Amino acid sequence: MLPSYYEFYNPVKIISGAKALDNIPYELELLNAKRPLVVTDKGVENAGLIKIFINAFKNSDMEIGAIYSDVPPDSSNSVVKDIARVYREKNCDSLIAVGGGSPIDTAKGVNILVTENSNDLMEFEGADRLKKPLKPFIVVPTTAGTGSEATLVAVIYNEEKNVKMEFISGYLLPNAAVIDPKMTETMPPKITAATGMDALTHAVEAYTCLQKNPISDAYAFSAIKIISQNILDAVKNGKDQKARLNMANAATMAGIAFSNSMVGGVHALGHSAGAVAKVPHGVAMSVFLPYGLEYNIEKIKDSLSDLLMALSGPEVFADTPKDKRALKFIEDLRVLQKKLYDEAGLPMTLKEAGVTEDMLGTIASKAINDGALMMNPEEMSHDDAMKILKKAF
Amino acid sequence: MSEFKTYKPGRKWFKTIVCKVVMVILGRAFQVFSKHDHEILREVSAWPEGFILELNVLPLGPKLLLSKEDGKIKAVGKIEKKPDLSVNFKNIESAFLILTPLMGVPQGFAEHRFIVIGDVAKAMAFTRCLNRILAYLYPDFLCKNLMRRIPEISFQKRMAKRLYFYTIGLVTGL
Repeated sequence: MLPSYYEFYNPVKIISGAKALDNIPYELELLNAKRPLVVTDKGVENAGLIKIFINAFKNSDMEIGAIYSDVPPDSSNSVVKDIARVYREKNCDSLIAVGGGSPIDTAKGVNILVTENSNDLMEFEGADRLKKPLKPFIVVPTTAGTGSEATLVAVIYNEEKNVKMEFISGYLLPNAAVIDPKMTETMPPKITAATGMDALTHAVEAYTCLQKNPISDAYAFSAIKIISQNILDAVKNGKDQKARLNMANAATMAGIAFSNSMVGGVHALGHSAGAVAKVPHGVAMSVFLPYGLEYNIEKIKDSLSDLLMALSGPEVFADTPKDKRALKFIEDLRVLQKKLYDEAGLPMTLKEAGVTEDMLGTIASKAINDGALMMNPEEMSHDDAMKILKKAF
Repeated sequence: MSEFKTYKPGRKWFKTIVCKVVMVILGRAFQVFSKHDHEILREVSAWPEGFILELNVLPLGPKLLLSKEDGKIKAVGKIEKKPDLSVNFKNIESAFLILTPLMGVPQGFAEHRFIVIGDVAKAMAFTRCLNRILAYLYPDFLCKNLMRRIPEISFQKRMAKRLYFYTIGLVTGL
């Protein structure tokens, strides 16, 4: 059913397939750029992915202005400023982020500073503060999870003020997302499982939360279908290029979906568990997803029933009575969780993820102040959040 | 002289005035209930002294400014500093829908009717306060369309506070 009003925006060119990286020089040419600055992190560099990336520039007339590989796990204000300095010093004219959420968000922040010729990100914090297109920007995701290559948001930590700054603007979207299976094949099984569950959660929440719309639904539905068919193959055999490419595409599709129909309570709880107990985001998503869906079940029965087709296939969907499909979705999700636990050791409870019982109150307090909760179908009080956390513990 | 006429579209005065009136009532309600409702008082106590919250209709207003002074919320006319938290309605039609109140805040947010600039955690606290204020101002049949769950406040308390606000609080701000 159509919502009474919705908006959808995704101008990102998706370039997907084997050797997709080799198209980057051509894409830069189209964007009138010749000297990109590459933003990445040590994990990506140590995995040998930057070598593969540089190789894609051979036989082109491009120069890579610099490779900044010191991005920390959480993007920060000072790193963004430092990279902007390097960009200016090296006379770069474009940006390429190679990595997961942190290098991508960092590069988005750098793009604001170098385009606006500023050194103060705070000036641009908030929604729709940017008024002109930014420098050419390409993203090469190396984790099939965050979907940041297709989202109009960047979250950057401000060390001076000890706050997370959120930037929301259509201009933050990259010109292109280059999905090459080579770039995700070195991910270990546990991270493959966690990032895959992160992407699954993006898609499920985009489909079931208040901002859902028919176009983001289409992306979310397909993402769930692809993830359910490929996540175990990618976990069991990292070199399976087909499964890797499918997972990376699904993560981008889920990113497009949730960039246009925000996530909800599962993310609110996950962000807070991450902040309080350093639970990796993908792990938190995996743990909270079934509990979050159970909490919202009365409001999302119809949407979740639809999704059984995507998660479990047409036979299971047809064999399950209409009024049981939403619960069957959660049941099958738990089966998938258990398989990922057996194959990759992906935690199923908060306890296994390193959370202690005394942290639950703080996590709940943080969760009810998380913006993602705004789009959760059901209201969530501190007591409600505590009940979910206790179940997930 | 050009054959093409330039149009100045003017303003939607009726809706602008209605929004202004509702903002005044809402500002007064926030001022009164931040003294009389312990939950709102608890939420507000986490905000720093001098905190400024702005409710604004882009691009020409009207706007409502709320300031925290001596631990309480006060509707103020003008401010010198930049607001700490701004809720900007994208246009007068969107503001009218939410303020009259034909649409709730979650639905308005889902429909991109407004943008928030500032600390999201405080925006969430503001929404919880707003839910309680609306529960005092309006009957259940209106409230259930405006929020996901009506705050648990006893019927007697809601009626007493509603009566107090419409007879004394609205006029005096006390």
